[in-house]
Amino acid sequence: MNWYGESGSYSIDTSEAAERVRKNTDNAPKKLCDWTELKDAGLVSSRAEYIASVRAVASSMAEEGIAASLSEKDTDLLQMVRMLDELDEVINLLTERLTEWHQSTTPDSSRKYNKAASKKFIQTIAKSKNPSMKHVAREILSLTNLRTQLMKDVSRKADEVIPNMSALVGGLVAARLMSRAGGLSIISRMAASSIQVLGAESALFSHIRAGTPSPKHGLIFQHRRVHNAPRDVRGKLARILASKLAIAARLDAFRGELDEAFLADANEKIDKLMEVSK
Amino acid sequence: MKDIRGTLVSEGAGGVYGERMLEGCRVWDPYRSKLSALWYLDKTTDLKKDEVVLYLGAANGTTVSHVADYTECVYAVEFAPRPMQDLLAVSARRKNIIPIYGDATRPREYAALLEPADMVYMDVAQPNQAGIAVRHIPFLKKGGRLILMLKTRSVDIRKTPEEVFAESCAELEAAGLTIEKSLWLNPYHIDHAAIVCRK
Repeated sequence: MNWYGESGSYSIDTSEAAERVRKNTDNAPKKLCDWTELKDAGLVSSRAEYIASVRAVASSMAEEGIAASLSEKDTDLLQMVRMLDELDEVINLLTERLTEWHQSTTPDSSRKYNKAASKKFIQTIAKSKNPSMKHVAREILSLTNLRTQLMKDVSRKADEVIPNMSALVGGLVAARLMSRAGGLSIISRMAASSIQVLGAESALFSHIRAGTPSPKHGLIFQHRRVHNAPRDVRGKLARILASKLAIAARLDAFRGELDEAFLADANEKIDKLMEVSK
Repeated sequence: MKDIRGTLVSEGAGGVYGERMLEGCRVWDPYRSKLSALWYLDKTTDLKKDEVVLYLGAANGTTVSHVADYTECVYAVEFAPRPMQDLLAVSARRKNIIPIYGDATRPREYAALLEPADMVYMDVAQPNQAGIAVRHIPFLKKGGRLILMLKTRSVDIRKTPEEVFAESCAELEAAGLTIEKSLWLNPYHIDHAAIVCRK
């Protein structure tokens, strides 16, 4: 059926038309729209008017569709994680530049050999006598505070939006995984093996193309249970964790609430592996 | 299509995406748009005033806006919400763009809106680009053109662009299309090929 309906009962009402367009299940309809049919029925008087009507239907459907996709519960979290990662990059960049600046004005300064933590170092510069350097350092410190705050917000939001994944690997890592995948509905359709190497794409493709060793883990390495594990079980652990994450993602996407039984089971399995490896 | 001393332009209200203007016309940059690149490489490429175009992979609507300057109307399909917002803004200023929020791998989502098209133009970053093109043959008039801008890197990263190109051509021919010409879009777009077919 065309958007304007069956012969004899044509209508160009936007919401009725949208309903008809949605109902269509045919990928290759036998009969496409023919504007002269509407003209003969007296509903449009010209080609331009036909285009205006079909355009109105399509536009309103598009607006509805966009509104629906924006109101999905993960949209906010996705933007927050991306903002956090961007902030990280900016802070690192500024810190590096400021360190360089400080070294070039202070002969006895060497960050490389005095091993000061970068935050500590910035704090010292913030008390220095050079006024412009001091201002920059203060800005960096305030950005760092902002970052800490945002990180807490992300964790809190993740606990709410993706409770099962967050319970497994912590809100931050869970949110980062979801953001890398592109959204909750996408990660919930991913194979565990894909989740395992999310964030290690370049290693994965060089493995596929050139046969270099395959990556064991991507973003999930950031989770303490993976990076604290002994080297020889890390891959195995990453695999198990990824498969549990895949299930968790599906729980989060389709049920949306914490599943205690699943979590207890998953944690037990992971802990067992840790025990064996000790 | 119209050019001013060798520069491809289109006539319409300017300032859509910050394009340069030349003697009151909108400059159509081959480095941004594959269709423009195709014209620079093959000057017989043409769009006509009375053509109905089905445009798959409309993105932010930059190329769409130029196509709309030349043709009667453009059915522009895009499935990502963010670019779709931009496309809607572009279509607000061009009454002959019909913005469709749908997935080109599932034509049924918008099939009921379409009329037979003189030209199907495809620029989608999907693995099965030839397959998507074949699925849209029913929407093409007899004798109509199908232009597939093949992003070989989106099809299969493990294969060479040449292999992907040959396979896609074979798939289009198997579906009953005649390939009129095919060329690489170097130097404007790397690893992209244009395949022009006729139904």
